[in-house]
Amino acid sequence: MNLLPVATILLMALSTYFTRILGYLLLRNRQLSPRMQAIMDVAPGCVLITIISPYFITDKPADLLALAISLFAASRWGLLPVVLISVVSTAVLRFLL
Amino acid sequence: MAQLSYRSQYYHEFLRGATTVIPVMIGVLPFGLLLGAQAAQKGLSVGLLSLMTGLNFAGGSEFAAVALWTSTPHLITIVLVSMLVNSRHLVMGASLAPYLSHLPRRKALPALFFMCDENWALAMADATRRRAAGQDPAFSLSFYFGLAVTLWTVWLVSTTVGALIGPALGDISRWGFDMAFPAVFFVLLKGIWKGIRCAIPWLVSLACASLAYHYLPGAAYVPIGAVTGIVAILLMGAKV
Repeated sequence: MNLLPVATILLMALSTYFTRILGYLLLRNRQLSPRMQAIMDVAPGCVLITIISPYFITDKPADLLALAISLFAASRWGLLPVVLISVVSTAVLRFLL
Repeated sequence: MAQLSYRSQYYHEFLRGATTVIPVMIGVLPFGLLLGAQAAQKGLSVGLLSLMTGLNFAGGSEFAAVALWTSTPHLITIVLVSMLVNSRHLVMGASLAPYLSHLPRRKALPALFFMCDENWALAMADATRRRAAGQDPAFSLSFYFGLAVTLWTVWLVSTTVGALIGPALGDISRWGFDMAFPAVFFVLLKGIWKGIRCAIPWLVSLACASLAYHYLPGAAYVPIGAVTGIVAILLMGAKV
């Protein structure tokens, strides 16, 4: 009976690893067509922006404002200042608004 | 002598990776604590949670699994939902493949175990920059392992600590640490920006994923956002 949680976790981990290697195994040693290359240039960004899309669905003005500030910061600075600006401005805005 | 310089270069690259990922840790750490706290609430033991975060190492699917967790977990549902959340790895692995062509499979396959969003995007941005600078190979495996091992350790430790001290944490989201997550992704997106041509498919992905997130249950927004963006690229392709 105690096997079920362990089996669930192991199978989950195995399936996750499978999703990680599948794209590589399919495309390794393959010359990409221009069409495929165009997809590969842009698709990763589609994936990243998809992951953060839930953050844009909010009715809290403080969070939307913090997102805008983060986006602006990201357009000019590197990782560390952007993360600090984002966290601090979010905390302050949530306190104020 | 050559052996020595190779080793010192390896350490140098590993260290460069480990330091590059430090700002990302600020965003990852609170999420790890939060996941641990939620798992403890759901009755998932510390040992099981560490097993999950250590072997699975994909936060999104772990939050989903913990949300679905019961004393007798529904194996099939959890595995399927987790695969849905992780479907993006397919696109990520495919986009990384050309950069890994100089590596034998026995090196590439273990490296791919660590391919999470942050490691992948930082490695892609670094490889793009190194290629532009004429460095060969563009993809630095030791840099990647520097990122990967560091972030994996942070994830494993923070989720475990979260499970241990769980309820004492309270609501950590009010502090604003959760916003570090999209902030990191904004910077990562800048790293893989390939000119204004990206903007339309990215916005299509964002719009469709947001709508799907709002109107559809669960993690359906992940494949929907990725696929609609790719369709947008294909539709644009005829015009470019």
